[in-house]
Amino acid sequence: MPHAGLKTIIALSFVLAIGFLLVILSSALYGQYSPLFVVATYLVAPIPNAICSRYASSYNDDFMDSGSSASSVLDLGRFLTGFLVLMGMALPAVLAHAGVIQLGAMVMSIIGGLLIYGTIIAFTMFFQEESDF
Amino acid sequence: MESRLFRFPLPTLPSAQTLRIFGVYSSGGLFALGIWFFLDAAIFSKYANPGTVHVQFVDWIPSICSVLGMIVINSIEKARLSAESFSFSGSNDAWKARLVLFLGFALMAGGLAGSVCVLVLKYVVPEYPFPTLYFGIANVVANSLIMLSTVVLWVSQNFEDEYNYSLAL
Repeated sequence: MPHAGLKTIIALSFVLAIGFLLVILSSALYGQYSPLFVVATYLVAPIPNAICSRYASSYNDDFMDSGSSASSVLDLGRFLTGFLVLMGMALPAVLAHAGVIQLGAMVMSIIGGLLIYGTIIAFTMFFQEESDF
Repeated sequence: MESRLFRFPLPTLPSAQTLRIFGVYSSGGLFALGIWFFLDAAIFSKYANPGTVHVQFVDWIPSICSVLGMIVINSIEKARLSAESFSFSGSNDAWKARLVLFLGFALMAGGLAGSVCVLVLKYVVPEYPFPTLYFGIANVVANSLIMLSTVVLWVSQNFEDEYNYSLAL
């Protein structure tokens, strides 16, 4: 795990700002605000993972029950996270295919959403050690 | 630094746990891809359809069957499938699990077959041109992706049965 300093925070917030800028631009430039759902999707995406890992770690405390149910709870969280991440990419494509938004808006909102989600992932990777114990 | 035999070290294979986690994530992704392929066809049919044929409830039935089959297959406790030799509460558990599993696989195969059936009967036989034909093709693609997602999830969940990490915490 690399050392996380002040520069990391600044770089991450910069990337997050660029991501939000792209998503907001993709909706505001064309006057059609449905690409904003991408932000909601990516913000929701880490939540099932977090809930399920917390639940599984409390589940595992009585270690008579050997792990199987706890790991399936973990798998459910991962499955939902994977679902939400791909949904964030599929949503602008579907909207563009149905003619609701333009092609440029689709590209901008996909890139912006990926930047936002990458920031969230990088942030949890850098700062997980403190919150573990 | 470990002593190496070759200059260029072979990339080490990721551990079983990593593969399993990656498999579960990609299974969720494949499932989302399948669902959204079909929803794309439905939304396109509602908003930008040049023709007169629309996606109706008939087109939804195969996907509903596939999703139900996926839920049934993956809610079975997999240790129960081979539990005949050391079961505590009678030896009737294994065949129940296999029966439910069979129902799940039947639902899923029925979904795939139904999507092909809808494609042929509703779109290919009347010889519709392409934007309409896409609804049927998207249906088949969606059901195949849901089936692939189930396979990936099943394989990656059976992956780490050799090691049990539960006591390591």
